[in-house]
Amino acid sequence: MACLQAAEGVEAFRRPFLSPSSVSETTKGRESPLTHSGDEELVALAQRGDRQAFEELIERHSQKAYHIAFGFARDREEAKDLSQEAFLKAFAYLKKFDGRSSFYTWFYRIVVNVCLDYKRRAKRTLAGEFDETAESQMDPSYQPAKPLPLDQQVLAGQISLKVDAALQTLPAKQRTAFILKNHQGLAIKEIAEMMQTAEGTVKVHLHRAVTALRLSLAELV
Amino acid sequence: MAHQAHTSACETYEEDLVLLHYGELSGAERQKLDSHLASCAGCASYLKELATLLPLTVKSDEPPQEFWQNYSRELRGKLDDVAAKKAWWQNFPTIFRPGYVPAFATAAIVVLALTFTLSKTVWDTKSNPQDDEMAEALPVAENLDFFSAMDILDDLELLEFIGSQSNNAA
Repeated sequence: MACLQAAEGVEAFRRPFLSPSSVSETTKGRESPLTHSGDEELVALAQRGDRQAFEELIERHSQKAYHIAFGFARDREEAKDLSQEAFLKAFAYLKKFDGRSSFYTWFYRIVVNVCLDYKRRAKRTLAGEFDETAESQMDPSYQPAKPLPLDQQVLAGQISLKVDAALQTLPAKQRTAFILKNHQGLAIKEIAEMMQTAEGTVKVHLHRAVTALRLSLAELV
Repeated sequence: MAHQAHTSACETYEEDLVLLHYGELSGAERQKLDSHLASCAGCASYLKELATLLPLTVKSDEPPQEFWQNYSRELRGKLDDVAAKKAWWQNFPTIFRPGYVPAFATAAIVVLALTFTLSKTVWDTKSNPQDDEMAEALPVAENLDFFSAMDILDDLELLEFIGSQSNNAA
């Protein structure tokens, strides 16, 4: 029962992924001739060396890139670094982008690869993650939706740690399929394009990830 | 509560139940699963469990506006650094402009010719064994005068010896 209450607490600080309208709200007031251009047009300009066009692509995709990275890293600073690294990689390899897939698919594939690569490099312990959580809550810019009672905060933190640990045990492809579907709400087709695999394979990865998490987190339900 | 986690769905429907939870099942497959769910408590319980468990795994974050301003500024700075590093090698291809090509080709040919000539000389010097013998013989040849002087000394000693012998005999 306590877990269910804590789950409600977790729900309270959960945020839905930013919709395109909310993204445009955050960037409103910043009007330029490029604002109304399509991604393909901006990519073509950026490939010819137009820095402003690339910056417009950053404005458009930074929030989603950040949230994908946050799904993997589950830490604000790391998510920022990873999403920025993805933009730098996209900038470096933009001339090699041939337009066979959309910029969206190509770029988010880079984001996912950067995140997976980071996860391969980082060997984080549960204790380390606890420290990071504590640090992010001490960050002055950290703003939970509404303050939770202390006991619920503790329980929510414990659940979060268990979920983090359970997610870390998933193989990379399962974790990717799960995060893109469960956290980002992408369609199976989009995930398949990003992972450069068949839709059926994504479904299998997703099912296996859910099965593994269900076993790991059985005590939470 | 915990026993719910071990509720097992029908194995054949498990994957479809996950897809149904995510709204990825449609048409005939969905109808088939819906009719199955109406009569299968295990699958219905599994679906409920997914609806409770999976949202718990989401940890979302909505940073304040200030974060995004810093984000953009920081990223622009990083892009400036990358662009500055790229500049020297990006400019490198400009030396291959049509006007410069004959000059570079001539220079390359001259360098190649010099390299070939010099290296050939070095190889020849090293590879001829007769030259080595000559090099050894030369110091000896230079000292021929010395050896002839030594011969004279030998002759003088011989004469002295003969002289001393004859004196003794006398």
